[in-house]
Amino acid sequence: MALEDIPRLGCGRSIDRIWATIDRLPTAHEEHCEQCQTARTRLQRLGEATRLLCESDLHDPALKPRPGIENAIMDVARAEVRRGSSILLRSADSGTTEISEQALSSLIRVAAAAIPGVHSRRCRIEIRSATASPAGEDHPSGTTRTATNAGPRLIVNLWVAAAQGIVIPRTMEALRQEIGNALPAGVGIGAGTVNITVEDLYDV
Amino acid sequence: MSEQPLQGSIITSQLIASIATRTTLETPGVLRLEPAIQGFLARLAPAALQNLRSPGSQHGTYRHNGVTATISDGTARVHLEIATDIAYTALQVAETVRQRVRESISHTGLTPGTIDVTIVAVEPHRGATML
Repeated sequence: MALEDIPRLGCGRSIDRIWATIDRLPTAHEEHCEQCQTARTRLQRLGEATRLLCESDLHDPALKPRPGIENAIMDVARAEVRRGSSILLRSADSGTTEISEQALSSLIRVAAAAIPGVHSRRCRIEIRSATASPAGEDHPSGTTRTATNAGPRLIVNLWVAAAQGIVIPRTMEALRQEIGNALPAGVGIGAGTVNITVEDLYDV
Repeated sequence: MSEQPLQGSIITSQLIASIATRTTLETPGVLRLEPAIQGFLARLAPAALQNLRSPGSQHGTYRHNGVTATISDGTARVHLEIATDIAYTALQVAETVRQRVRESISHTGLTPGTIDVTIVAVEPHRGATML
């Protein structure tokens, strides 16, 4: 015989249900049931005590988070974002080397920041290789795109806003060159193709 | 005639992760290992981790901030997630890390397996001036 563990009042209502609805108005049954009314009165006292305890905890200095805890949480959150999709740079018997798309994007943004009159916006990076293994072969999760041992060929697509008054073709060529220098220096791979779209102008 | 005592030691995946962490952080150009939720919880409430991870074992996987170490059949494999200094070439830093970690693992008596490195960030060193 199965025994029911839920404590019930004499009228058949479960105490758990009354507790769950203690903040609401009494039901039609509860308004007329003496047992429910008694239970509600007692549980309301418990509810009030619980609320006061929660309030007290909020202002208890002993329960305040330690200094730096917010930064630690943000560090973990940022790291989770950076872990997004990654690109295989090198593969050998001794192991693989990958780089996150976020890392490449931030490097490109740093390079763009060095060019006066340019504000970088979106950045999307693709990878192409003539002998690349099929995407996802080494990484069934599909989060990683692959290249070959010969080294990846990147296609950088960057959208920027340009300052009014600058000579756009010359400035974009300088930007392309800056990115072309930054990737081999910072990562150790060639920039490949750098496509730049000027999608907006801004007042200086 | 003297009897030579037999000496035994157990190398756990936790120890391999610890060795890999120290070796990686000592490599020039490495800014940090990327923090993970497990490492954060370990600082915040060690007891909370009990349900999230199994302790490092001789035949298991141990994960801690940016390091995953696995021992299987006498071979130790490691995956590292690092942030590198923009003043260094990330690919070269990763290669140096790999060589150093392999060497450190070989000192434990285990065979170094694949050492996979993921560069999750390339940043200026804090305090460094960008030209």
